[in-house]
Amino acid sequence: MKRNSIIVLALMVTAGCSSKSAVTPETATTSQAPSTLVPPSSPTGYGFDQWQTGPLGDVFFEYDSSTLSAEGQEQLKQNGIYLESNAVKKALVEGHCDERGTSEYNLALGDRRAVSAKEFLVRFGVSASRLETVSFGEERPFATGHDEEAWAKNRRAHFVLK
Amino acid sequence: MVQLFKRVVPGIIVLLFCLVVFPLTLSAAEAGEYIAIRKEGSGNIALVLDKLDANGKKESRFAQSLDTIMHDGLDFTKIFSLISPPLNVKDFSDKKNPVINFGALTSVGAEVYAGGSLTRKSGMINLDMKVYDASGSKLLLSKTYTGREEGLRSIGHAFCADLVELLTGKKSVFGSKIVFISNRTGFKEIYECDFDGFGVEPLTNLKSISMNPALSPDGKHLAFISFAPGRPTLCIKNLADGKIASVSKSGVSIDPGWRSNSEVAATLSLEGNQEIYLVNTDGSLSKRVTNNKSIDISPTFSPDGTKMAFVSSRNGLPQIFIQDIQSGLVKRLTFSGRYNTQPSWSPLGDKIAYTTWEKNGEINIFVINADGSGLMQLTQKSRENKSPSFSPDGEMIVYTSNRQGKEKVYVMSSKGGNERLLLQGDDVQTQPSWSLFR
Repeated sequence: MKRNSIIVLALMVTAGCSSKSAVTPETATTSQAPSTLVPPSSPTGYGFDQWQTGPLGDVFFEYDSSTLSAEGQEQLKQNGIYLESNAVKKALVEGHCDERGTSEYNLALGDRRAVSAKEFLVRFGVSASRLETVSFGEERPFATGHDEEAWAKNRRAHFVLK
Repeated sequence: MVQLFKRVVPGIIVLLFCLVVFPLTLSAAEAGEYIAIRKEGSGNIALVLDKLDANGKKESRFAQSLDTIMHDGLDFTKIFSLISPPLNVKDFSDKKNPVINFGALTSVGAEVYAGGSLTRKSGMINLDMKVYDASGSKLLLSKTYTGREEGLRSIGHAFCADLVELLTGKKSVFGSKIVFISNRTGFKEIYECDFDGFGVEPLTNLKSISMNPALSPDGKHLAFISFAPGRPTLCIKNLADGKIASVSKSGVSIDPGWRSNSEVAATLSLEGNQEIYLVNTDGSLSKRVTNNKSIDISPTFSPDGTKMAFVSSRNGLPQIFIQDIQSGLVKRLTFSGRYNTQPSWSPLGDKIAYTTWEKNGEINIFVINADGSGLMQLTQKSRENKSPSFSPDGEMIVYTSNRQGKEKVYVMSSKGGNERLLLQGDDVQTQPSWSLFR
C-alpha cells in the first residue's frame, strides 16, 4: 500500500496536480505504473468505444459491483489529468447497469458506480463541485444485445463533459 | 363505497344514495353465523347469479350489460364457482311476484342465490338485488343500488363488493385501482386502471422515464420516480389538483413506498450515500430511517406503519430485512435465494411477497410470513416474474411477467395459481402497484 502511495503521489506531482489531495484511494489495488500520462489526441483503448469518443473515458464494472478495477482507476486518472488541465470544465458522471436483476436495485447500483468514480476523482484532486453524478440504472443501455458482451458494455460510469 | 360512487355520480346523487337507499341487510349476528359456516368448508362458493328482470327495451339492454359486469366481476375474484341458473329457477305463475325455486337451486349444488331487477327513472338506474342462502332459503341481503346509466360498472361492482364482504367477512378488490408503467407512447409514463384491467387512463405526460408508481393509502397522492428533472427524482402528485411536489435535494431517488397518508419512504442518495428517508407529501424530508453504507432500497410497511421491510446489500448480495421504525432494530427476513428484491407487505399484515433472481436466470415471486416462516414459491418456469403487489384484501397479487415475450401485467392468487394476463396491448408494462382505497 505504501508503495502505491508513493507511485500515485509521484504521478500526481509529475502531472502537475495539487498535492493537497494526494491521498491513496481506498480501492487502489493496482501496482502497475501507467505507460503514459498524456491522453492521446484521438483516444482509443479501454475507456473509449462507439458510445464514448472522449475526451473523458468511461469506466467499466463487474457484475453487481461498483468496485473500480485497475484499468478503471487508470482511466479515471487520465480523466483527472484532463479535468485538472481544463479547470473551467464540469463533468456529469452517469452510472449504468446491465438489464439483469431488478430495475430498482440497478438504479441504486448505477448510483454507486457513478459515486465510486466521482469519489476516486475527488481523491485524485478534482474539485467535487465540478463533478455531478446521476444513475440511469438499466434504463438507458448502450449495447442492445442480451449477452455478456452487451452486458459488459452497459455496466459503466459514462462521462459527459459539460 | 362512497369513494367509488363519487367517481361516477355528482355529489347530490351521492347524498341521495346515502340517505334514501338505506341497505336492508341482515343483522351482523346472522352474517357472522353465515361466514363461520363458510370458513369450515374450504373451496369456492357455489353461486347462482340469476339474470336480472327488466321491463322495456332499454331496461333489458342495461340489465344484460349488468349481468355480464356482475358475472365477470365475481368470476375475477376466483372466490366463486358460478353455476348457470337452472331453467326453472323462478316460478312465474304469479307474474308480479315470481317465486324463487329453492329446490331447483339445491339440486344444481348452489349454496347462494343472487338475483334482482333493474328499473330506470329520469336517467338513473336502480338495481334491486336480493341474496339468499340456497339451502335455508334465508334472505341474506336486500339492497338497492343507484347510479347513472354510464356508471353501470360501478353499480354492478358495488353489489359485487357487498356480496363478497357478506360471504367472506372481508373487503374486496372492487373499486380498487392498479397503477403501472407503460411505454405505449414511446416514453415510460404512469397509467391507472381498475382492478380488472378495465378503463386504462394516463396519470402522467412527462415525456421521460417514470418508475415505481404507488398510490397513498387514501388514494389522494401518487408517488413515483421521474427522470424529467434530469436525474431520478421522487415526485408526489396531488391527484385532486394535479400539482406535483418533488424532493429538491441533489442526488437520485429510488422506489417510494407509503407509510401512511402523509408520509412516503424512498431511498435518497444525498451526497453520495444512499439511505431510506421518510418524506412528507410536500416533498420535505421528515426523518432518516436507515444508516448504512450499503444499498438500502424499496421500503414497504406493515399496515400499522411500525415496521418496514426493505432490500439491503449490507450482507453482500441483496436480501430483505425488516426494521422496527421506533427502535431502529433490524432483522434479516430472507435466507433462501441469492438475490432477493422488490418486497411488498400484504395489507393484511401477515405476509411479504418478493422476487428471487434464480441461478437458472428465472425471476420468481415468493411469499414469506413476516416472522420468516412459511416460505412459499408462487411462480415457476415462466421466465421473469417481477414487482409483486398485494390487492387490498390480500387475496391476489399483481405482478409482471415476460412469459409470452414482452413484459406484461398479470394477476394471480396470493396463495399461487390462477395466473392470468390482465392487460392486452403491444406495449411493455412494468412495476404495477395495487391501491388500498376503494
